Amino acid sequence: MRRGWVIDLEKCIGCRSCAVACKQHNAQPPGNWWATVETPGSKYHLTMPEQGRGYFLPVTCQHCKNAPCVKVCPVEATYKDKDGMVLVDFERCIGCRYCMSACPYGVRQFNWEDPKKTLGKLEYVENYSYGYPLNHRKEHNGVNRLVYMKTRFKGVVEKCVFCVHYYDNEGLDPACVRGCPGHARFVGDLEDPNSTVSQLIRDNEAFTLIPEKGTEPSCFYLPPSRKKKHMTEV
Amino acid sequence: MNKRRKYSLIIAFAIMLAGLFTYGYQLREGLIVTDMSNLFPWGLYVSALAFFVGNAAGGLVLSASVYMFGITKLKPFAKIGALTAFANVTAAMLIVIPDIGQPLRLWHILRYPQFSSPLAWDVFVLSAYAVLTIVYLYILMLPDLKGPGMKELSEKLAKRIAPIALVFAIGIHVVTAWIFSTQMGREWWFTAALAPDFLAVAVFVGTTVVLMASVLLYGIKDQYKEGYSILVKIITAMFFVHLFLMYNDFFIKAWYGAESATHVFNILMDSILIHIFEVLAPLLAIILLNSKVRNSVSGVVVSGVILMAGVFAHRFLIMPPAFNAIPLTIKPLGFIDTYWSYPIATGRYVEGVSTIADYWNYSPTWVEFTLLSGVIAYMYFVVALGVSILPVKKED
Repeated sequence: MRRGWVIDLEKCIGCRSCAVACKQHNAQPPGNWWATVETPGSKYHLTMPEQGRGYFLPVTCQHCKNAPCVKVCPVEATYKDKDGMVLVDFERCIGCRYCMSACPYGVRQFNWEDPKKTLGKLEYVENYSYGYPLNHRKEHNGVNRLVYMKTRFKGVVEKCVFCVHYYDNEGLDPACVRGCPGHARFVGDLEDPNSTVSQLIRDNEAFTLIPEKGTEPSCFYLPPSRKKKHMTEV
Repeated sequence: MNKRRKYSLIIAFAIMLAGLFTYGYQLREGLIVTDMSNLFPWGLYVSALAFFVGNAAGGLVLSASVYMFGITKLKPFAKIGALTAFANVTAAMLIVIPDIGQPLRLWHILRYPQFSSPLAWDVFVLSAYAVLTIVYLYILMLPDLKGPGMKELSEKLAKRIAPIALVFAIGIHVVTAWIFSTQMGREWWFTAALAPDFLAVAVFVGTTVVLMASVLLYGIKDQYKEGYSILVKIITAMFFVHLFLMYNDFFIKAWYGAESATHVFNILMDSILIHIFEVLAPLLAIILLNSKVRNSVSGVVVSGVILMAGVFAHRFLIMPPAFNAIPLTIKPLGFIDTYWSYPIATGRYVEGVSTIADYWNYSPTWVEFTLLSGVIAYMYFVVALGVSILPVKKED
């Protein structure tokens, strides 16, 4: 089993619902974003670098097969799960940020201060915070790892957990997939040739981000069809 | 102990205390009090790690020169070399502690070490080197501590330990360099030239540390002049080896002219003054050390400080061109002339300021500078206290 995503850039309307759903469900404090959507070529989102030629690029942890973050972690706090997910054990992480430096996708986030304190800056009613409420533990190599918690510790690294808590507890797809109004995101088993994701990758000239870095991401993108149209014209 | 050294020890101790209190403040508030961010996850602390590791090379140069290559003129400086090496390698380990978000979990490195991580190896080789330098210093001091009868044993053991120490001494620079040069995402670091370059820098700056300490300890006397001259030759040669390794790497990258390399050089241009300083300051110091200036204690010390400032600038520059050249920089589909970096969430929430950025103008905060000063003071304190209470100085 290798869980992976397919993101259809033709369908993505740049609404950032995935980012917001992710932020809410996974209790990210202000300043931290596990999932983002940007407009390639432009400094400002939804502002096209050229009229009528823009598209949007959602990026989150790529759950790479050859993940540099996993290899550099000195304490094996970040590891590759048997289902192909790259997870962080919040109890194991020492906060050296080596993984953040090694990740070419810039998706790893650090708790520079106590997240409770950052949340306080938002002026919600006292003690309110959003997010999936329960801790989630998962066994790996005989150790029970704390892979999700609502309020993370100060000084640990966090990132997309592939909604492992929803996957294990409710059999649900990640929040970003469920929250996408345009059904641009798909999730499934990349090792199963008959899964939707595998078929989409095969049939649509799917590509990965910066493949030259050799990370073998588990997140595939389908090019916007404008490009495909052009290819058939030639 | 003379009065001047006593006062300097008190001042160093006060700076160490200031560093300690500042660390307490950083522990309470979190690393938010530094100027690092998710885009720029390592700063002054990790630069200083590389700096102190480099300074610790002096012990290697001395032990190898005396006991493997038979340069006996350097023998009087062997003990001070081992002492400065110990002070600097422990300083290197100290300065990474404030960089750790969860310092109480540091024991995890011993309990759950992951062997694919160069950082785990670095902890191992740095600790081993620290132990080796202190053992080596003890062996060299045997005749002074236990009577002249131990002279033969001391010589024999020193000869045996020298090759082992050499392996670890090279190891600390190579492994520290590998922390950076294994990262394929960072164009600035991903080069096989980095480890040899770390070694070259370490040898010339480490030797400078020994030269400064020796001159302060022994003064400029005729019987040491030849020894000093050998040290200056080592410094001069290895500085040019470093320049060669660095610009050789630049040349190859620039010649091919890939956009990723141009991107890095453009970012280096933002720090061009620091780059000019990292080259010209040691060059000036080396010109001074090769002149009559070498015949005065203050001349050597001032030159040494200039050289070390240049090397510190070199270590500082490890970071900006690595982190500001965001690895996820692409030519978006359909845009031929655009080279665009995917912005990163900074992890810092400031009202009215975007949390998404593609450039981080890192400038260390007073917290980072105070902590660094504390560790520099510690390094001086160990050396000055060591020469005061231990028989480090070979009496004529």
